Amino acid sequence: MIALFFVFGSGSLAGEGLTRLAGEIDAEGLREAVAREKGHVVLVNFWATWCVPCREEFSSLARLQERNRSAGLRVVGVSTDFENQRTAVEKFLAERRPPFPNYHRKKGGDDQDFIDAVDSRWGGELPFSVLYDRSGRKVRAFSGKLPIAAAEREIRKLLANP
Amino acid sequence: MRLFRPILVLAALCALSVAAVAATPAVGAAAPDFQLTTIDGKSFSLSSEAKSHKAVVVMFISTQCPYSNAYNDRMRDMASAYASKGVLFVGINSNKNEDSATASSHAKAHGHTFPIMKDPGNKVADLYDAQHTPTVYVVDPQGKVRYEGRIDENYEDPAGVTSPDLKNALDSLLTGKPVAKTVTKAFGCSIKRV
Repeated sequence: MIALFFVFGSGSLAGEGLTRLAGEIDAEGLREAVAREKGHVVLVNFWATWCVPCREEFSSLARLQERNRSAGLRVVGVSTDFENQRTAVEKFLAERRPPFPNYHRKKGGDDQDFIDAVDSRWGGELPFSVLYDRSGRKVRAFSGKLPIAAAEREIRKLLANP
Repeated sequence: MRLFRPILVLAALCALSVAAVAATPAVGAAAPDFQLTTIDGKSFSLSSEAKSHKAVVVMFISTQCPYSNAYNDRMRDMASAYASKGVLFVGINSNKNEDSATASSHAKAHGHTFPIMKDPGNKVADLYDAQHTPTVYVVDPQGKVRYEGRIDENYEDPAGVTSPDLKNALDSLLTGKPVAKTVTKAFGCSIKRV
């Protein structure tokens, strides 16, 4: 089932200064989004506007994307904000203008199903990031703030493999 | 997540790992004992309280986390409703950025009369490998973990809850039945560790 809705037509994972949500996404939609990027290394970051460490690392993620875009990195953000905080999410994106697309987790269903579908070892804490290699295989998950330097070393190793 | 620790260690060796690796008490295993001082200055010992209650609900909570705060009323109401059934609810605030005075004023503002403790150095959070708030653990009189996870599945609408997981676990425990769902998950705020 196609469960990804491109509300604003921002289907590409490689945009510049994306100021609005790219759409809503559920676990299946996320799998499809990652699959479409086969050939790229993909880092999916789960965040929320109220999550202080998420906000703190957002600029670092933007720089990480910019430094490694030409080599083939694609960062994807997924907001897990409450449904009634969607305006806050849009405001946050308008202010930050991240160079990567951000989706809002689609409302409905049990959060546990979404969490387990993303990574069975994820307990639901935010932020949380998952790294996929060029073949779309999940290679690592990061609980809490992304250790940028270590993560970038790992990303560049993956990028070095065509 | 807690049941995956041994697998996690193996997975780390295979370069498939999660950054935060710790040993969490599996459901059925002994709950790590701890002693803390409540925000009103009383001594608290988990092992002592577990022996004198039918269950102790250890809740990792926050004064700032929207997910934790969404459950303030439910924590208050459940703690009150289950007190007469021999169940003790306790709150542990392990966040380094929330001090005792803040925890105290937050408790008063939300009618939390159950014991609340600061966890200096997040040592208890580390013992339980508690990663986010709110997370709850149900400990039986033998000191074993019987349930771990969320209060329910619907943080946004208490009236719309369809899976009251903590309540179900407690009711099963109190009636001598096996807990059907022993581990659950929900989104939450990372515990701010030192």
